Amino acid sequence: MIKFDNVSKRYADGQEALSDISFEVSRGEFAFITGHSGAGKSTLLKLILAMETPSSGQLIANGVNLNRVSATQIARHRRQIGTVFQDHQLLHDRSVYDNVALPLEICGYPPSDAARRVRAALDKVGLLKKEKSFPEALSGGEQQRVGIARAVVNRPSIILADEPTGNLDPGLSAEVMKVFQQFQSVGVCLLVASHDAALIERFNCRTIVLEGGKLLADQKPRPLA
Amino acid sequence: MSATKRRNENPNQPRVKRNTRAGQSESLIDLVKLHRRIASGSASRLLQTPASSLVTLFVVAVALLLPALLFGLSSNLASLLAGFQDSAQVTLYLQDSVSEADGQKVSDDLLTRRDIESGYYVSPSQALDEFSASSGLEDLLIEMTANPLPGAIVLTPWDVSPAAVDELARELQELPQVDVVQVDSLWLQRLAAISNLVSAIGSVLAVIVILGLFFVVGNTIKLAIESRKAEILVIKLVGGSDMYAARPFLYTGLLYGLGGGILATLLQIIVLATFNSNLEVLTQLYESDFQLRGFGLMSSLLIIVAGAAIGWMAALMASLRHIRAINP
Repeated sequence: MIKFDNVSKRYADGQEALSDISFEVSRGEFAFITGHSGAGKSTLLKLILAMETPSSGQLIANGVNLNRVSATQIARHRRQIGTVFQDHQLLHDRSVYDNVALPLEICGYPPSDAARRVRAALDKVGLLKKEKSFPEALSGGEQQRVGIARAVVNRPSIILADEPTGNLDPGLSAEVMKVFQQFQSVGVCLLVASHDAALIERFNCRTIVLEGGKLLADQKPRPLA
Repeated sequence: MSATKRRNENPNQPRVKRNTRAGQSESLIDLVKLHRRIASGSASRLLQTPASSLVTLFVVAVALLLPALLFGLSSNLASLLAGFQDSAQVTLYLQDSVSEADGQKVSDDLLTRRDIESGYYVSPSQALDEFSASSGLEDLLIEMTANPLPGAIVLTPWDVSPAAVDELARELQELPQVDVVQVDSLWLQRLAAISNLVSAIGSVLAVIVILGLFFVVGNTIKLAIESRKAEILVIKLVGGSDMYAARPFLYTGLLYGLGGGILATLLQIIVLATFNSNLEVLTQLYESDFQLRGFGLMSSLLIIVAGAAIGWMAALMASLRHIRAINP
């Protein structure tokens, strides 16, 4: 589903954010990406989302070669990916409902169909009662959950999440992870960047460890006792 | 959180395709609803900044009004000319040596010609009477011993086209009794040329104005895009195409063009009313009931439609260029 093949990313200022990264995540797989801040977690997600292009190496996600993509292909590619951004990236002049409905509107879903999906997604993150609120009236954790609802509403084939539990208490974090696991069980590929060691420990998943832009370790889940 | 589990056991189930006729008409209604929502969103944004929106609207209206007024003036002149052209006259001034009886005879002979519709002879004494009656110089004329005015024949040709009238005038000049031939239609030709010139200026101005409107609307759209950069960024991140992000701005451009066109037709009513009140004095002096005509329904619609089309296209060009430049 996602294949990094000797991928490096060098920024214009000469800083090498990722160097020689190779790994593959398949359908229905759940992987954490971890490492200290500045290790390259965000850059890695940006590459998959085609916000950046690799400097060298080959990157294929969802069957799309991301080394060479047109603007139209990028838009179509992003519609297949649900992304939870660290800074939420919500529209502040639209209600929670309209924020979550945005990916569906872009894909041209009929409103009645969209309404059903939006409410289902808001229900999953426990925000059904807040659909008429505006993002500014919500807490950081609630805004984060609106972002999660928006990421899953379109039933994407890949879900990327950058510190999705950063603003959530442990109880809510577990709920969110359960939502992600539901998607995993139906074949969605999930990549979650996180430095929450306790969370990673509790959810026994594949863990990709980055350090200074290099792949330090690729730990498979521990065999269940 | 368990409420959805029943409805939503397989979150990745394929989307149901709607191929039925009812489904299609439903999706058309949905599309209309969606566009109505985008359009009303764009309109309410314009209303949020009423002062600057109004300024842009007036600029668009005035820009549309200028060439439209010139075209209107030219068509008014053309209709004025059409009224006068029927009365093209050729006046033959006869030699002093031609007697009244001879003059009458020449006139009668000319009336048998096929290319002359009507005509009459004016003897020197008749001319003097008319002149003294209209000029108010009777006292001065009484002092004169001899009549200085020649006899004249006033003719109306069948064919009033400038070429035919010129040809006729040249033939009549050859007659031995004729001193001078005067064609009254020369000033009409000049007026027709002026009317054509006005129309040509209108065309050139229209081209300049369209270019100017592209710049004005394009710049307004550019500023609107700048102020909504964050929103466009989010739309692009979740997979919205440039065209999707451009849609509200296309409506903004359309509304500017449409509003400007409507305002231009309203302004022309005021402008023409002002002209007509001044023109009335002039036409009364000429004993005419000529009035400037307005644009009419079709021309007004044309201005409004042209304004809307220009606004939309300017917005399309500006928004695609500036939205393409916004990248996450």
